[in-house]
Amino acid sequence: MKKRKWFKLASLLLAAAVAGTGCQGQTGKEQEQKKEGSTVQIEFWAAPNPTQQAFWKKMADRYMQEHKDVKIKVSPMPESPSSEAGIQSAIAAGNAPVISENISRGFAAQLSDSRAIVPLDQFEGFDDLIAKRQMKSTISTWKFADGHQYVLPIYSNAMLFGWRIDILKELGYNAPPKTYSEVIEVGKKLKEKYPNKFLWARADLVKPTWWARWFDFFMIYNAASNGTHFIDGNKLSADRDAGVKALQFFADLSKNQLVLTKETKDPFESGTSVMSDLGPWTFPYWAEKFPEMKFNEKYVLSMPPVPDGTDPSQAKTFADTKGLVIYASATKEQQQAAFDFVKWVYSDPQNDLEWLKETNLPPARDDLSTNEAFVSYFEQNPQLKLYAENIPNAIPPMDNAKMVELQELIGKEALNPVVKGEKTPEKAWDDMEKAIRGVLK
Amino acid sequence: MGCSNNMNKHAAKVGWLLASPYLIYSAVFFLIPLFWALYLAFTNWNLISPEYETVGVQNFLDAFFSPSVRAAFWVTYKFMLMFVPIVIAGSLCLALILHHLPRWKGLFAVGYFLPYLASGVASSIVVKGVISYNSPLNQFLRDALGWDIDWLGSPILAPLVIALMMAWKFVGYYALLFLSGLESIPKEVYEAAEMDGAIGWKRVWHVTIPMLYPSFYTVTILAVGLMFGIFTEPYVLTGGGPEYATHTWQLEIYNQAFEKLNAGYGTAVAIINSIVTFASIFVFRKVLEKWGGKHGWE
Repeated sequence: MKKRKWFKLASLLLAAAVAGTGCQGQTGKEQEQKKEGSTVQIEFWAAPNPTQQAFWKKMADRYMQEHKDVKIKVSPMPESPSSEAGIQSAIAAGNAPVISENISRGFAAQLSDSRAIVPLDQFEGFDDLIAKRQMKSTISTWKFADGHQYVLPIYSNAMLFGWRIDILKELGYNAPPKTYSEVIEVGKKLKEKYPNKFLWARADLVKPTWWARWFDFFMIYNAASNGTHFIDGNKLSADRDAGVKALQFFADLSKNQLVLTKETKDPFESGTSVMSDLGPWTFPYWAEKFPEMKFNEKYVLSMPPVPDGTDPSQAKTFADTKGLVIYASATKEQQQAAFDFVKWVYSDPQNDLEWLKETNLPPARDDLSTNEAFVSYFEQNPQLKLYAENIPNAIPPMDNAKMVELQELIGKEALNPVVKGEKTPEKAWDDMEKAIRGVLK
Repeated sequence: MGCSNNMNKHAAKVGWLLASPYLIYSAVFFLIPLFWALYLAFTNWNLISPEYETVGVQNFLDAFFSPSVRAAFWVTYKFMLMFVPIVIAGSLCLALILHHLPRWKGLFAVGYFLPYLASGVASSIVVKGVISYNSPLNQFLRDALGWDIDWLGSPILAPLVIALMMAWKFVGYYALLFLSGLESIPKEVYEAAEMDGAIGWKRVWHVTIPMLYPSFYTVTILAVGLMFGIFTEPYVLTGGGPEYATHTWQLEIYNQAFEKLNAGYGTAVAIINSIVTFASIFVFRKVLEKWGGKHGWE
């Protein structure tokens, strides 16, 4: 008798608990939608920074004025502890939004592998959207191994190297070096004149941190390999010759004591180093903290250096780029409504201009440096022009669900030991290949 | 008799009703997640895929043979060896100083407690700046002494930096516990000890420290437990490196569950972490209780 009472009490508590959690899965969403009659409700998760949220709120408000049957709720994606983890938790709890931005190609590969997002190329009007936004070339490198497009890139930062032109001029150079031997030559001259300065200060070169490889190894490898994919689907397709040359470049930098691998605060700005991997997000920071960092006076920008004998004008680089995805947990109606909203936003280049002004992040368009709509903006912000010009030359991250493990292995097996002088570039490459094949099998 | 039974039943109902918020809270935030985690640890689910399989004890076997899990196990004890003595000595000294302050004791106590409230990310960034290659400290060491120290690149110095930073953060908090212990030692005990000739260090060693046993016990257990939950400082400062020298349990769990999307495996590591934490604290408790028993604390 007593046991039964206990059981009843426990059941009651659990029921209350479940009800109290406010679990609002798919059923909850559908019910909500029914209540609203014919209005389609879309939850849009914007990147957790105020400028991007402001842009999407503005777009959503304008769209809703024209389309009374759609209600878009824009909110910042949770960051607990990262935005990827926030999305993962939301999917697990059945609370995923209909659409979100801030998705890298690598994370999209993890999501698509788990069928959590839908292919965008299957929506009616996809080709029309690509044509209208002038992004045929840019999006071609985004195609996944299964032939589908899961992400619509919003912005693309073609990663460039910044060079302290004031210091280079002191060394007798008027332009940054373009090939490996030119870089080493500049480095040697720098050390002769300033023994305490370095060519490149980057503590991550000796750390296996997976995402750090985007801003060192992949910048140099993409330039050396003319953008040959490192991984294709589930196969290692990297260009060994280019990869070994890239590693040899890192080895030479290290051997000549041109890289500083200790943690350093603002090394480029303070002149401790004369070269730095730079994204456009640096410039608003400089405007606030280092107003003396003027384009063409203190620094210039260039594409990554290439191996000797390679044409520098054909160099490729890494694209730090993120885009929009539509979640599989949403209803078909919500998915289509979300896609229609995106199509509407990108049908007008003025919206991309507004994005650029608001966020400083270059829209992922092939015509960014030539389209009339952006000309005056780039005249006012000349430091961003080279980023815009190189969008079609920037290679996005790999589309493999095991990207984190794979990029960790590039550091552990190849880049880190080469920079520390523990392995030859050939052995490092072979060890890395073996380890990567082990993960991919 | 019947009336008293009814009253007891009524009181029990009221009791359950009053306890229900806590019970519901525990069920939602502890009990359900605990059972869910136990289930998850036996699957290969990544939290987002609609399909997953149960894999038996494979996750646990993988964890036992994983170099990064083994590193997390040993690194925790390495941190413990550095952090626990430093924080106990530091907080005890601080408590003794505060105890003997003639005035503004509370103000100073609050001042030293403030680092405990500071965000781990913020204080890690500050520390990163202080030991940066071009910081005034390192410039002085290079120029004056010729020492070019790689603070976060050395497998010995990197954990020491983190242990010292955490000690700075917790010393004020633990000092409050020692201070309350010091304040509760009756004056008569000191007077009696003085009559027996115990003055100066003899008094501290033979009277104060044994009388502080309850505070020592609490601080030691708190400090030991803390070592199993380190995340923010190595995450911001070293990422677990160099060569796993600062790779903690929480970093391993986070990397597996949220970066590599191996949630099932990550949960198995979390369960092993809980067992190791429980066992370690149990051993420490037993050792401390034995020591306390020898000195008259039952």
